Amino acid sequence: MALRLLLFLWIAAALLGGFLWAPLVPELGETTRILYFHIPSAWLMAVAFGWSFLHSVLYLVRRRIEHDDQAGAAAELGILFCVGAAVSGALWARAKWGTYWNWDPRETTIFFLFLIYGAYLALRGAIEGEEKRARLAAVYSVMAFVTVPFLTFVVPRLYATLHPSPILPQQGERGSIDPRIVVCFTAMLAGFTALFFWVTSLRVKLVRLERRRAQSESSAA
Amino acid sequence: MSGATAVVSGALEVEALGLEHFYAGRRGLAAVSFALRTPGAVAVTGPNGSGKSTLLRLLAGLLRPTAGRSVVRLAGRTVEPAERRTIIGFVSPELAFYDELSCRENLVFAAEARGARGAEALARAALEPVGLDTRAHDRVTALSSGMKQRLRLAFALLHRPPLLLLDEPGSHLDEEGKALVERVVREQARAGLVVIATNEEREWRLAAERIELRGRGLGHPA
Amino acid sequence: MPPSGSNSVAAVWAILRKECRSEWRTRYGLNAALLFAVATLTAVSFAAGKLPDRTDLLAALLWVVLLFAALASLAHAFVREVEGHTLTFLRLVASPAAIAFGKLLFNLLFLGVLELVTVPLFLILMGAPAPRWGPFLLVLGLGSLALAATTTLVGAVVSQARGRGALFAAVSLPLLMVVLAAGVSGLRAQWEGNPVTAEVRILSAYAATMLGASLLLYDHLWED
Repeated sequence: MALRLLLFLWIAAALLGGFLWAPLVPELGETTRILYFHIPSAWLMAVAFGWSFLHSVLYLVRRRIEHDDQAGAAAELGILFCVGAAVSGALWARAKWGTYWNWDPRETTIFFLFLIYGAYLALRGAIEGEEKRARLAAVYSVMAFVTVPFLTFVVPRLYATLHPSPILPQQGERGSIDPRIVVCFTAMLAGFTALFFWVTSLRVKLVRLERRRAQSESSAA
Repeated sequence: MSGATAVVSGALEVEALGLEHFYAGRRGLAAVSFALRTPGAVAVTGPNGSGKSTLLRLLAGLLRPTAGRSVVRLAGRTVEPAERRTIIGFVSPELAFYDELSCRENLVFAAEARGARGAEALARAALEPVGLDTRAHDRVTALSSGMKQRLRLAFALLHRPPLLLLDEPGSHLDEEGKALVERVVREQARAGLVVIATNEEREWRLAAERIELRGRGLGHPA
Repeated sequence: MPPSGSNSVAAVWAILRKECRSEWRTRYGLNAALLFAVATLTAVSFAAGKLPDRTDLLAALLWVVLLFAALASLAHAFVREVEGHTLTFLRLVASPAAIAFGKLLFNLLFLGVLELVTVPLFLILMGAPAPRWGPFLLVLGLGSLALAATTTLVGAVVSQARGRGALFAAVSLPLLMVVLAAGVSGLRAQWEGNPVTAEVRILSAYAATMLGASLLLYDHLWED
């Protein structure tokens, strides 16, 4: 209980610090603020998908249903924050360059990751039988994971040559960054990571409770 | 019955160690343990849904156990579940063949896929004892359920396996067919091993030993 | 009969021949796929007309037509087994790897036949400029290999789920984006006189990755 409160306060403090205490990045202006949400969201998405993949492999190797619980829960959370990152990114792009979506490398990657994990969740929903679902979802998860390097590095470059955009977004901050920004940003990153593990554990707990209830129902029948 | 004697080079041992299977949270097979060896015939009986079919599928390596394991050793060498198909003949109600191919073509395919030479001859030799030699070129879709059951028997004996796993082998068969099953079991039990899952007295009487499954399963597994 | 390497080759070959024979006897798969491809092509041609100087659109449209036709038909190799309940039979005569590779080769052949009809038709209907056949076929071939490798594995997974048709397309498509991007880029490059080395490399790498992943995953596909 106390830890949850601490997490809440931590993230709140980091956010407030970002708005009130840390300065703006000169090139970004007011849009600096989105840094504190957008990038941690994308980070959380990456952590989530990595966690999901890890547990998919562990399931195939060890065949313990706990791994599948983690894989599914992480994917659900991952997709949530994928959407969060995409939307916040779109808002940022609008504020900075005037258009919501540009198919630049990062946007492209996020979109494809969304499709992949959407497909993963759709697949999970369509398979009956816990062990079967765990096994087949894990197989797909591995397939999806091997395409990620291609999607992250190769496709965006290909897309750029196919559709060269007039506006070339530079998403790096040049020069040295004010340490206050770094503090708030890192705090948000840490807070989001903790948030991920906490919410995932909640979801896993829920899945296990549901399973236990289903088992007791069937043995009572 | 020519051409159908089991080729057993060395003793065959089949063991189950706390073998159990769950599906969708329900128990399809309650934990079972036993040890069998050649030669002989063993019957597996039990009420509907007690897991007879599940047990046979577990032994065949078609199903992965939720708990426990099965061990099969041929001439001292362990046969992993993934390889079991090379040493077993399997008959089961849901075993289906390719409708658009003929009996002969299905068996030739099976023999060729297993890397056997002279697949045509093997197929012919397998069809003759079960009385399907006259229907060899008929498509499976044209066969009656009794004929299909005979085809299943022919397929099981095709490569003369040391272990036969028969799930309700007499189903759909007429008197002549059931006599055929009896002959098959007796032949196999001489040098090889047969496990028959059944509730028919006539069938389980063929076996010297009997494994009785109790406990609630979940009905016919998918 | 202990399993050996030659057994696997024999199994793959036997499965491929069996698939071809089954397909030839029933033919509904190939017919539907061809009809679908031609119908899509007709729609595109009708909507867009001849595009002789739009090599970017031509490359994109050709791949879209092929992709759609593939997604509409390549799942059925496995769906047929599941619906006919012949999977047990298959698993009793061949290893999972042999089954998967046999099906992969069949899907590749199937795709080849599909392309044999669709590609010339496309080139003619859309008024495409003459391709540089070497690079053109290379890109098409490698893309098809990648396509077949991906959809065979996905097909094996999805055939065991409900709602197979739409699910197959939805689940395959994100994975195929790489093939689409590189394939389109490659076809366009060859029409514009540019080298296709980068795209060829990407498609080869992707196909190899998918095949490699398959080798690790096939054993987990069928366990009940």
